[in-house]
Amino acid sequence: MALPLLLLRPILLLSFLLFAPIINFKAALGSVTEEDFSEELLLRPLPDRKVLAHFHFRSRAPHTSSNGRHHHLFPKAISQLVQKFHVKEMELSFTQGRWNYDRWGGFDPISSNNAKPPGVELWAVFDVPLEHVDDSWKNLTHALSGLFCASVNFLESSTTYSAPEWGYRPAPGSLRYGTLPREAVCTENLTPWLKLLPCRDKAGLSALMDRPSIYKGFYHSQRLRLTSSEFESEEGGSGIVLQQTLTVVVQPDSERNVMSYSHETKLQPSWSLTSIFGRMVTGRCVLAKSSTVYLQLDRGLVGQLDYLQKENELSNADKSVYEGFSSNPGFELSVKPDRVLKELNGFEKKTPSVVYEFYIEKYSESRPFDLGLTWKLPVVWSCQKAPLHASRFLMGSGNERGAIAISLRSTEVSDELLHTDMSEGRCKLEVKVFQVVPWYIKVYFHTVRVYVNEQPQEVSDVVEKMRVSPSVDKVSPGVMEMVLKFPCGMKSAAITLEFDKGFLHIDEYPPDANQGFDIPAAIICFPNFHTSMQFFTDKSVDRSSILSKFQENNAVLAYTEVLLVPLTTPDFSMPYNVITITCTVCALYFGSLLNVLRKRVGEEERSAKSKATKETGRLRQLLSRVSAKLRGRPFELPQPPSNSSSFISSKLILFILVAGIAVFWQVYFG
Amino acid sequence: MCNLFKSIVVAAALLLLGPCTVTKCMAFGSPPSSETTMHTNNWAVLVCTSRFWFNYRHMANTLSLYRTVKRLGIPDERIILMLADDMACNARNKYPAQVFNNENHRLNLYGDNVEVDYRGYEVTVENFLRVLTGRHENAVPRSKRLLSDEGSHILLYMTGHGGDEFLKFQDSEELQSHDLADAVKQMKEKHRFKELLIMVDTCQAATLFSQLQSPGVLAIGSSMKGENSYSHHLDSDVGVSVVDRFTFYTLAFFERLNMYDNASLSSLFNSYNPTLLMSTAYYRTDLYQQHLEEVPVTNFFGSVMETIHTDSTYKAPSIKSFSRAEIKMPLDQPANDNERRILADSNGQDQISNPKKEEQQGAFRHLWNTINDKVEKIEDVDSFVLYGLLVMLPVLLLPTLLSW
Repeated sequence: MALPLLLLRPILLLSFLLFAPIINFKAALGSVTEEDFSEELLLRPLPDRKVLAHFHFRSRAPHTSSNGRHHHLFPKAISQLVQKFHVKEMELSFTQGRWNYDRWGGFDPISSNNAKPPGVELWAVFDVPLEHVDDSWKNLTHALSGLFCASVNFLESSTTYSAPEWGYRPAPGSLRYGTLPREAVCTENLTPWLKLLPCRDKAGLSALMDRPSIYKGFYHSQRLRLTSSEFESEEGGSGIVLQQTLTVVVQPDSERNVMSYSHETKLQPSWSLTSIFGRMVTGRCVLAKSSTVYLQLDRGLVGQLDYLQKENELSNADKSVYEGFSSNPGFELSVKPDRVLKELNGFEKKTPSVVYEFYIEKYSESRPFDLGLTWKLPVVWSCQKAPLHASRFLMGSGNERGAIAISLRSTEVSDELLHTDMSEGRCKLEVKVFQVVPWYIKVYFHTVRVYVNEQPQEVSDVVEKMRVSPSVDKVSPGVMEMVLKFPCGMKSAAITLEFDKGFLHIDEYPPDANQGFDIPAAIICFPNFHTSMQFFTDKSVDRSSILSKFQENNAVLAYTEVLLVPLTTPDFSMPYNVITITCTVCALYFGSLLNVLRKRVGEEERSAKSKATKETGRLRQLLSRVSAKLRGRPFELPQPPSNSSSFISSKLILFILVAGIAVFWQVYFG
Repeated sequence: MCNLFKSIVVAAALLLLGPCTVTKCMAFGSPPSSETTMHTNNWAVLVCTSRFWFNYRHMANTLSLYRTVKRLGIPDERIILMLADDMACNARNKYPAQVFNNENHRLNLYGDNVEVDYRGYEVTVENFLRVLTGRHENAVPRSKRLLSDEGSHILLYMTGHGGDEFLKFQDSEELQSHDLADAVKQMKEKHRFKELLIMVDTCQAATLFSQLQSPGVLAIGSSMKGENSYSHHLDSDVGVSVVDRFTFYTLAFFERLNMYDNASLSSLFNSYNPTLLMSTAYYRTDLYQQHLEEVPVTNFFGSVMETIHTDSTYKAPSIKSFSRAEIKMPLDQPANDNERRILADSNGQDQISNPKKEEQQGAFRHLWNTINDKVEKIEDVDSFVLYGLLVMLPVLLLPTLLSW
């Protein structure tokens, strides 16, 4: 009896060991029941010889009701933030540089989600009664400023943030939005952001983040996006989802390109992870559920490569880029991808985008992952642009008034897109504009003028919906939310607004007021166009946070430039000048008046006469004495004798005093 | 013995300092605890007050000091770093995210782990005084506060452009010597420091200390009244001067030290050579009672950490009573260090014996409470030690009984 039991035990144990991972895996696949973390990196060659690197880290924590308040992977600081301020959604971004919508793309998920205005942008939706939203916002800004070593607490002042109703995103009442266009972004902001990751920058993909190579880039944007369903009544929500992204645009500079520059100027620069970041990936972060690197090829690039392929190898014409990367005529990869994903055709005429997938699990310290891309043939392509190219500029001159103009130019791409829409009948291009203007730029909203194809239009014809909250001096900024509908064949449009420049109190000027004042970027949104990329995959999209992000149906979004307005600055030399000149004039006036009043003419003449007789120089005195002797007349002293005697006596007293002190000193201290 | 020696030292210092200072100290009435409290923690407030690219050297000065104090052991959460401008990622910086204090570019001061607490427009006289005096708005996070106590040694380093009795902040406001003296006085009254070392690298730095009156304050300035402080050298790659002379030679002194060195403050003071500095370093020591030869520099530039050693796992009630006793003692009985240490030690012994008896928890806690009550009443040490031994006896007896 004992023997079979003894035999059974190892079998049971073995079966348990075999099934345990499967059970675990099933748990992970379902809705979030335990904390998880995934790290991903997307690389994409850009048409203007640059490379986009997009890091994406996602941490998820289940609902506190099911999991309690203790965390294994999820950053405690963030969950405390959510608990304390009842944050429903929040996004904080630190950006330097300007996203080039023409060259780097304006119609893909990355440009709509990760292209941010320079400086700091923060928006948050709170799950608190409407009257407490402002308090929560203020406390949140202070907490974030401590967490990320930045002056986010300047957003506390009511002059810097606004409450958009529908212009930015639909969350009436509980949404607050604020930007600091001049906030510096540097290492001290990245480090605390990295400390939220379970492996920090010690292992995994985040180990690539070499500070000098990131900040050397043309554009870098560090973003933190938080979504929580903590305060929703029904259970089993997604809990807290924290997405941290870092988007960098860098110019690879490999030596080979410099050498071949003379004869092959068109060839794109080849790059590798080491040439961009100076480091390699030496294995994944062991705490991460998945650790993947993607290399994405644009629709335009894939189209060009397909064309090249057909031209070069007529025999293998049916072989496309995504099937055989090794036989690709355009470029060569140093690492064989684990999987190639192809985009499901969104637009009929377009070639699909292609994504190469690399699993970092396979690589280790001894076999580091260093993806390299070497171009073999010169390829020229362009990224897909937003339906309209938006830019904003200032008009007018002087320190008194001016005008803001937002200009929208149609791009070639949008023409094709619009033709497809035309079939539906009435063709209208919808544009949403959201703009915040600080109070010292006093915008007159009644001066809105709209031009379509350089022809002035009735405002009511174009503006579908408009909400304006005028600025209140030193209390709140001016906010403008607008929905515009343009005819489809439009080539260009412009909106202008006039403003007066206000005066600040002398204490309110920043130390470098001469540099000018910033008007935060306006947001241009195209609600009819969506950036969604569906990739043809088996269920693994669930695993990948970047690809699931790509699938989201977001409207195309673009930020305009930040404007720099010169205001009248206090000139501290002015009051100084005024004071000195006034004093001089007063002194001259009173001095001369006093002189005139005090002067007695008779006295003056007499003193002048005596002066003439009085000899000043000793030589003269001697000469006169000699002449008197010669003439035989007695010499009369010019000074009265009594005067000289008193002088002598005072000298004598002084002498006696000094002598007395000397004697005293000698006696007592000598 | 130690007490006697200390009183002699104090008396000697008073004799040396002459009648003027004595009246000053008496008028203030130094708080009774400042003599007896132990040095328990270290803080550093490092301030660069200059904006604009051509003042690169001031930021490099501050960051060098930041690196030094971090290297010598002050943790980041106890350093308040204020930088008035962004030089590391400045558009004019050829080396993004890097700051150098030497032409040879061997050392990147900005590193990967810099924590700037106040930066840009936040560096104002108001915020500076708020940090010193601890009068913040409620929402201000802990990382931006100086959470020092009466056992703290604080290093306050400031650099920027200054003049006779003032220091410019951001080229738009000034901190006057009166403001600084008032803030320090307020800190003293609020028991925010035990000893304070103020180090200023600016033109006519000595004048900034002229109004200081609070005891326990030591001040070093880079130059006397009427003297300028000069930069050390120009980096032709960066394009500006990268470090000031006074800070350069201060760092030269500290580079030779590590955390465990015992170099004294007087050796730091003597290391300044007026011909190299091109100005005369000034020390104000009349408010500081100890001999500078006996004070190691690590008292201010290094760190002391209080570690509470517990053998047992975390237990809320017993530890609470322990900490209560610990806190109450210095307040209730202004005993000298010696006695206090004995109390803490014997408490620690009891603490160690605590986990041995799991099942006797209730009885033991009762005993413990009675002991605690006794401890608070006890005046002399001997009887206390006796009590401690008495408590030890049953504890020792019990395991032997159980093992039989």
